[in-house]
Amino acid sequence: MEDCGEPQLDAKSKVTNQLVDFQWKLGMAVSSDSCRSLKYPYVAVLLKVMDHSGQVKNKSFEMTIPQFQIYEKCSKLVIIREMQIKITTRYHTCQKD
Amino acid sequence: MAGELEGSKPLSGLLSGLAQEAFHGHQGITEELLRSQLYPDVSLEEFRPFLAKMRGILKSIASADMDFNQLEAFLTAQTKKQGGITCDQAAVISKFWKSHKTKIRESLMNQSRWDSGLRGLSWRVDGKSQSRHSAQIHTPVAIMELEIGKSGQREGASKHFLQKNHDPQVESEFLCLEFDEVKVNEVLKKLSEVEESISTLMQPA
Repeated sequence: MEDCGEPQLDAKSKVTNQLVDFQWKLGMAVSSDSCRSLKYPYVAVLLKVMDHSGQVKNKSFEMTIPQFQIYEKCSKLVIIREMQIKITTRYHTCQKD
Repeated sequence: MAGELEGSKPLSGLLSGLAQEAFHGHQGITEELLRSQLYPDVSLEEFRPFLAKMRGILKSIASADMDFNQLEAFLTAQTKKQGGITCDQAAVISKFWKSHKTKIRESLMNQSRWDSGLRGLSWRVDGKSQSRHSAQIHTPVAIMELEIGKSGQREGASKHFLQKNHDPQVESEFLCLEFDEVKVNEVLKKLSEVEESISTLMQPA
């Protein structure tokens, strides 16, 4: 994902989930049977997501550092900007919880 | 016949073939294919130990992720060994590693990654006109779709270097998440925590 300017979501998944929890881990792969000198850092993420029926599932995945930094940068710059645009144009009602 | 094996030109091709099979998951590169394409005048009996020697050298270099000083020392030692390599062969191997090191390393990292990876991320921000959970009108909602999937891994590595199989790429899973403003800020805060940890890790000693 090199260009994070234009949103292009044409969702392949039919179901949206709510994010319940986000856990992360910064790991370092040191060595493996195929490579004694791996030495690469990675970010591991565990998402707890809840579907419409209330069922909670765990989804985990890894990212390299450059990958993480691209996604983080896009999330911060673009989504925040878009959220703010939508917030400033919304019709205000009572907002206190 | 030994003279045929000492030539540098086919050695470069041999190393490419070995790397394709061992690191990049290219199947079907057999001993016989390499021999017939690169050393057609050499018998299989003579070719086999030569191939094993080159395979071992390449494997050692890749496994140790040698830098250029280590590489030079290693190859020099190989030229001095009984049944080792010639200086010309050392030069070819050195040139090969210098130009292919990054790609081979990337493949080795992928082979060691057993959990799913994040293959893609798409997003959209909607202005919801009505929310099921609250009375707010025109609440912005971020919708994010993550593409999660495993990359190719080795399966059941056999003793013979050239017979390792690689799993084909597994289909992706698409996970669609919905975030309101509060959740977006929570997630972004977590992402900043990760970034801070990364910065601490990457600081020079």
